[in-house]
Amino acid sequence: MKKIAGLAITLLLLVGTTAVTAQSGQKPLEITFWSLFTGGDGEFFDAMVKEFNASQNEIVMKTDTVKFDDYYTKLTAALAAKTAPDVVVMHQDRLSTFVPSGVLLPLDTYVQKAGIDLSTFEEAPLNNCKINNKLYAIPLDVHPIIMYCNMDLFSKAGITKLPESLSELISTAETIQNKTGAIGIAADNTTATYKAYTLTRMFLSMLMEQGVYVFNADNTKANFNNEAGIKAYQALSDIVNKYKLTPKGYDYDSSVADFRLGKAAIHFNGVWVTGLFEQQPNLNFVAVKFPALFGKNAAWAGSHTFAIPAQKSVDEKKIIGAMKFIDWMTNHGYLWAKAGHVPTRKTAVNTKEFKSLPHRADYADAAKYVFATPATPKWPQCYDVMSDQLEESIALNRDAKTALTKLEQAINDILKK
Amino acid sequence: MSSHYADHKKRDIVLFSLPYLAIYVAFLVFPVIYGVYLSFFDWNILSSKVFIGFKNYVEAFNDPEFLSSFSHTLQFVGISTPLIIIVGFIMALITMQPTRTGRIAETVFFLPYMLSTSVVGTLWAWIFQRNYGLANQILKSLSFEPLGWLTDPSIAMTSIIIATLWWTAGFNMILFSAGMKQIPDEIYDAAKIDGAGSFTTLIKVTIPLLKDTSLLVLILQVIASFKVFGQVYVMTGGGPYGTTRVLVQYVYKTGFNYFRLGYASAMSVILFLVILLISSLQFLRKPDQAL
Repeated sequence: MKKIAGLAITLLLLVGTTAVTAQSGQKPLEITFWSLFTGGDGEFFDAMVKEFNASQNEIVMKTDTVKFDDYYTKLTAALAAKTAPDVVVMHQDRLSTFVPSGVLLPLDTYVQKAGIDLSTFEEAPLNNCKINNKLYAIPLDVHPIIMYCNMDLFSKAGITKLPESLSELISTAETIQNKTGAIGIAADNTTATYKAYTLTRMFLSMLMEQGVYVFNADNTKANFNNEAGIKAYQALSDIVNKYKLTPKGYDYDSSVADFRLGKAAIHFNGVWVTGLFEQQPNLNFVAVKFPALFGKNAAWAGSHTFAIPAQKSVDEKKIIGAMKFIDWMTNHGYLWAKAGHVPTRKTAVNTKEFKSLPHRADYADAAKYVFATPATPKWPQCYDVMSDQLEESIALNRDAKTALTKLEQAINDILKK
Repeated sequence: MSSHYADHKKRDIVLFSLPYLAIYVAFLVFPVIYGVYLSFFDWNILSSKVFIGFKNYVEAFNDPEFLSSFSHTLQFVGISTPLIIIVGFIMALITMQPTRTGRIAETVFFLPYMLSTSVVGTLWAWIFQRNYGLANQILKSLSFEPLGWLTDPSIAMTSIIIATLWWTAGFNMILFSAGMKQIPDEIYDAAKIDGAGSFTTLIKVTIPLLKDTSLLVLILQVIASFKVFGQVYVMTGGGPYGTTRVLVQYVYKTGFNYFRLGYASAMSVILFLVILLISSLQFLRKPDQAL
C-alpha cells in the first residue's frame, strides 16, 4: 500500500514539473555555480541568487547544496579535472594560484559581449583582478580593514574627533584608557582560535600608507626591511609594549568581544564584524576607513570575486549567461552590503538602498584605497609566516631591526623556492 | 566431497572479502603507495608533476617549520602518552568496582570519547578563552591571576593535552577494563587467601596480567598521539606564533593551503616511517605470546 502511495506521489510530482516547464515554454539556461559563503554571508548570498532567478526567466542559477568544509581544496581538484561549475566565487588573493595554470578564462571579450560597463566599477578592486593586463575575475565586494570607535567612551573622555594620524591614534586611545579604564586599542596580537592576521593586515596597510609595497615588483624579494617597515613595526610594537594600549596575549575573540561589550575604545578589524556590532544593544559606534596613520590612506582588503573556470569545451552561451549573472549580482551590491562588505560598483553604492544602510556609507570610500596582496601563489604561506613572526616579535618585544631582518630572511627563503 | 567443499569455502572467503578488499585497496593501499610516489615530485595539482628525486626529503630536514612541528609532536607524544594511559588505567580500576558508582563512572568517563574533534576543540577553546572562558572565571573567583591558557606559549600545549586527556582517556579505560574482566576470579581469590591486600593484588596480580593489554594500549596511544591534529587546529591554530604547531597540521597546510603536494607527501612519509618503526616494536615479543 505504502509503495503504491509512494508511486502515486512520484507520478504527481512528475506531472507537476512537466506542467511547469510546459507553461514557461522555453527551458531556461541552467548555469551552475559554487560559492564559499557560510553563516550570515551565506544567507544573504542565497537570497540574492534567489532574487536573480526570480527577476528573469532566461537563466537559472543552480548550486550544490553541500557547504564545503574545504572550499579551495575541492575547487582546485575540480579545476584541475576541468569539472568545476560554470561560475565560482573566489578570493582575489587566490587568483595568482590559478591563473598561471590556465584554469580560469580571461574575461575581457565576454565582458564586452555581455555588455558589462566596467567604468561603473571602482578602479582599485577591478585592477586587482587583472593579471598581465587581462581581467580574470570580477569583484563582488571588498572587505577592507577599518576602524571602529565606541562613541560613548569617546564622549566620556571628552573626545569628539576621530583619530586621523598615528600620534592622534595613540593620544586618543591613551586618554580614553586613562579616563575610562577601557582598553585603548582592541586589535588582536596573539593566535588562539583565529590566527592573529590583524597584525599583518595593519603592517601591510601602514607600509602602503608610506608608498611601500610589501614585496618587490616581481614578487621575488621582501621589501619591508627598510625605513617604512621599521616605522610600521615600531608603531605596532609600541601600541602593545610601550604605550600598553593593547594587552599582551590578546586574541581575536577577545578583541571582538571587548569592543562589542563596550569595553574597548578603538577596534581594528575587517568590515565583516559590522553586522555583529549592530545587533548589540546600546553599542554606540562608528565605523570609518582605516586612518591615514602615515600620511596617505591605504587599507589591506580581502575581496570576493567571480571567476569563470575553463571547461573541457567552450560553451559561449553559458559563459555569456554567467556574465549576466555576475553583472546583476555586482549591480545589486547594496543587497550584499547588508553582510557588511563594501560594493565595488558605483551603480550599487549610489542607490538609496545602500545609502539608507547604517554605517556602510561611512566606510564605503574605503574601496578607493584598497590594494592587492602580492600576486604570487606563495602569498598564502608568506601571509602565515608574516603573521606568526610579527606575533612572536611583538610578544618578545624584539627591536624593529632584529624582527624585520628575521622576517625578511624567512620570506626571501619562501619566495626563492 | 570434502575437498570440493573446501574449494567452495575458499572461494566464498575470497568472494566475501572482495568488497572490503576493493575499498581497502582503493582508499588505503593505493593512496599510501601514491603518496610515496608523489614525495619524489614537485606538484601543485594544477600543473604537471616534476620529478625532483630526494629534494623534498632534503628540504624537510632543513626546514625550521618542519623541525619545530616535529619536535612539538614529539613533545605532545612524550607527555600525553603516559598521562592518557595512566589515567585510563585508573579510570578502569574505578569502573571495575561492582557498585553503582562504578557503572555510572564508566559511562561518564567514556562519553567524551564519542564527541567529534571539532566539538571537543571548540568546547575547550571556549573554556580556555582568556577573557571570557570558564577556566579563568574560576581562577578569578578564587582570586588567582587569570592565565593565557591558549595564548601563553608556555601553557598552550598543556591546555591541549588536558583537552585530549579528557577526550580520549575513556578509550584506554575500555581496553583496560576489558583486559581486567579476563583475569580469572580464582587468581584474586588465591591472592586473598595468601593475605594480599588490595595494593599488593594490584601490583602483583592485576598489572602483570595486563601486560598484553598494556602493550596494545601503549602502541595504539603512541600512534594516536603522533597523529594529533584536530584539537590543535581548532584550539590554537598552532599558535601562539607556531609554538603548538604539530606535524600533521603542517602537512595539511603545506598540502591543502600552499598546494605543495610533493613536499607534503614527503613529510607524511617521514611520519609514516616513524610510526611504522614504533609499531613494529610489538613484533619483538616472543611469538607464543600473541596479543
